[in-house]
Amino acid sequence: EISSSTEEAQLFVEKFEGALGKGKGKKFYAYKVMMTKKWMKFQRDFENFKTACIPWEMKIKEIESHFGSSVASYFIFLRWMYGINMILFGLTFGLVMIPEALMGKPYGSLPRKTVPRAEEATAMNFATLWDFSGFAQYSVLFYGYYNNQRTIGWLKFRMPLSYFLVGVGTIGYSFMIVIRTMARNANEDGGGDDTSFNFSWKMFTSWDYLIGNPETADNKFASITTSFKEAIVEEQESRKEENIHLTRFLRVLANFLALCTLAGSGYLIFFVVRRSQKFALEGLENYGWWERNEVNMVMSLLGMFCPTLFDVISSLENYHPRIALRWQLGRIFALFLGNLYTFIIALMDEINLKLEEEKIVKYNMTIWEASLYNGTIPENSTAPPIQVDPADVPRGPCWETMVGQEFVRLTVSDTMTTYITILIGDFLRAVFVRFFNYCWCWDLEYGFPSYSEFDISGNVLGLIFNQGMIWMGSFYAPCLPAINVFRLHTSMYLQCWAVMCCNVPQERVFKASRSNNFYMAMLLFILFLSTLPAVYTIVSIPPSFDCGPFSGKTRMFEVISETLEHDFPSWFGKVFGYASNPGLILPFILLMVTTSHKSLTSSVQSY
Amino acid sequence: MVSPAIALAFLPFLITLLIRYRHYLVLLYRAVLLGWLQDRLTGVPREQRAFQYVLTHAIPGDPQHILHTFDQWSYHCEHLSCVGPLKGKIVEKLLCERAPRTVLELGTYCGYGTVLMAAALPPAARLYTVEPNPQHASVAEKVIRLAGFDEQTVELIVGHSEEVIPQLREQHGVQSVDFVFMDHWKRCYLRDLQLLEEHGLLADRATVLADNVVFPGAPHFLQYAKTCGKYRCRVHRASLEYCRAIPDGIAELCYTGAR
Repeated sequence: EISSSTEEAQLFVEKFEGALGKGKGKKFYAYKVMMTKKWMKFQRDFENFKTACIPWEMKIKEIESHFGSSVASYFIFLRWMYGINMILFGLTFGLVMIPEALMGKPYGSLPRKTVPRAEEATAMNFATLWDFSGFAQYSVLFYGYYNNQRTIGWLKFRMPLSYFLVGVGTIGYSFMIVIRTMARNANEDGGGDDTSFNFSWKMFTSWDYLIGNPETADNKFASITTSFKEAIVEEQESRKEENIHLTRFLRVLANFLALCTLAGSGYLIFFVVRRSQKFALEGLENYGWWERNEVNMVMSLLGMFCPTLFDVISSLENYHPRIALRWQLGRIFALFLGNLYTFIIALMDEINLKLEEEKIVKYNMTIWEASLYNGTIPENSTAPPIQVDPADVPRGPCWETMVGQEFVRLTVSDTMTTYITILIGDFLRAVFVRFFNYCWCWDLEYGFPSYSEFDISGNVLGLIFNQGMIWMGSFYAPCLPAINVFRLHTSMYLQCWAVMCCNVPQERVFKASRSNNFYMAMLLFILFLSTLPAVYTIVSIPPSFDCGPFSGKTRMFEVISETLEHDFPSWFGKVFGYASNPGLILPFILLMVTTSHKSLTSSVQSY
Repeated sequence: MVSPAIALAFLPFLITLLIRYRHYLVLLYRAVLLGWLQDRLTGVPREQRAFQYVLTHAIPGDPQHILHTFDQWSYHCEHLSCVGPLKGKIVEKLLCERAPRTVLELGTYCGYGTVLMAAALPPAARLYTVEPNPQHASVAEKVIRLAGFDEQTVELIVGHSEEVIPQLREQHGVQSVDFVFMDHWKRCYLRDLQLLEEHGLLADRATVLADNVVFPGAPHFLQYAKTCGKYRCRVHRASLEYCRAIPDGIAELCYTGAR
């Protein structure tokens, strides 16, 4: 009955909407009005369709109604990252991997595209492929496969230029979208006045009268209860009285203990990296599995155990949960940053070693070529070169592929660690508590293990640092965004299931609307820090002489000047030459810096 | 084989465990290790040592002072697992509100709970207390008489609760019980509650109090109480006896199932 009167009302509104019109040209005016109404209806339906298309919306709403907005904000952040990674994946897949796969020379035609003879026997093993060596290494997944031909195929596709521009473009796009999201979040305000009549707003405006489904009503009920709890905690926190001097002393003590932990972990990683360099010099075959994987193990263990220690130390500080979460995030951030930069320093050492090795290989190649001819042909003749199977040609150590492989292996092991931690730390623990509670001497649910809570700070930081890895490594391994898209997709389903199945809501819930910009600020910082090593290697280290799209050039960015020379008319080159005068560039940079500083401070102030 | 670096990486984990569960470790030391050590050293069981202390330091005939002396001994010397001062206040308050005629206590141990409840009983009410262990029962008997309660007010029955409850009506002349306080083995809470129901010993709107339902916990008992429909259940949260930092609770059940 109600729906029929609603339909009647809708028909009435549609019939008479905008019916008042002028006398002249009534027919044309009526037609225009009808088209406007149809267009508005189409727009409304399209908005509804767009909202229904947002992926995982129902899952996240369900989690929000049970666990509060802070846990849900993690999943919203994850979904946003997934969107960014899809775009990065589209760029690298469509503009780098597909052209080389379709239009470049096939596998086996060039030395750089073939598995060397020595490795052929094991190239198809699962262990080799899991390690991203063998056939996986000599494919479009890594830098070393790409040929340095200026144009490929019938489309005259500029492969090296595309590779360089996609690399720069992914970073530029990421910067743009992070800053834009920060600016947009800064302007957004939650409904209702935050400062006064808090409880009245919640009491009278929380219910959603459009709900018709009993299960949705239960979820909404749970979410309103949670929001009341959040508001009560906030009110309690603002009224507590405290002993200022004791609190300050305890906070200073807690920071001191956290610094000691960070220093200890930094020294331990430094010590382990030095040891592994010593092992590498003596040859890795002499050592067992423990020694070979010592650095990875120590980094993973410290990354797992130090955050819980920071959590325990922070109970000394007695902050509001939202502020305590920020301190926790800051400390874990410092820990992960230390890990990351130690890893990068180790990588730099390896790159230098490989560059040294390259000189030796170049020298050996001249000797090898001479030995091919066996001294039968005199020096200055122009006889055709002898055909050699590409698998037999001696190779330079391709440091770019090595860097790409390291990042891919790190991402994969990071993913495995996260999934195993969820399965053991959350799922097995919940199974143990559930089924052993009957025959245990104390109540496992209230007491010692109990069900785990969802660790927001650890997960958010894991996500941010994972993205930092991707930004650092995607120039050298175009397959990284694809791997990350797969990882985020499975991660969303696994974590949603794990949260609903194994976790309990935290004891103190709090609003998370303001934390979103904090996550964005950290992401921006990590983006900046991740692009530094990549840009440094592009600008200052010469590319390998026999692998990758830039082989043969002295620096990778020379592809730009080469393109300007060959593909653009000459006057363009002159204009560009004038425009790249330092006298013009410096004021432009100053202008950009001041405008970005201004917009960032205005967005930071309003959060 | 395993390098010292990996072993050192476990150090933050150990420190976290130590700090997070420090209260439970202290409780383990005081309740178990210290008791065992003193047993070996003095040859006298813990309840006897407690009674000797109470005998020398308490004022006979004053229940409050006897309870206070027990508390002093538990705070300063060893841990005694009776109901404790904080939860004791909750029990006393509920007892005064309900003013029952017949009170049943399961698990006398040293007689702390007995003395507490007997002091808060209304006049002409009677308290029956059940204790399976004869040594504990002898100490409890002495404590109850020291506090000045005679046979009229408090009767101590030695025996296992599953044997005593079926015989309460025939041997001890108990028709119905208005107030039950359970503080014995946690696994036996559910069984004894069901025995009381079966034998019709629970009066209408009787109150059943169960101690230590959070730590160590009695999950079956709580689940039964909340789901069977015969009781209205409420858990009073406090802390474990003589340990402010470990949360514990008393479950209060109101029997409505007689109708």
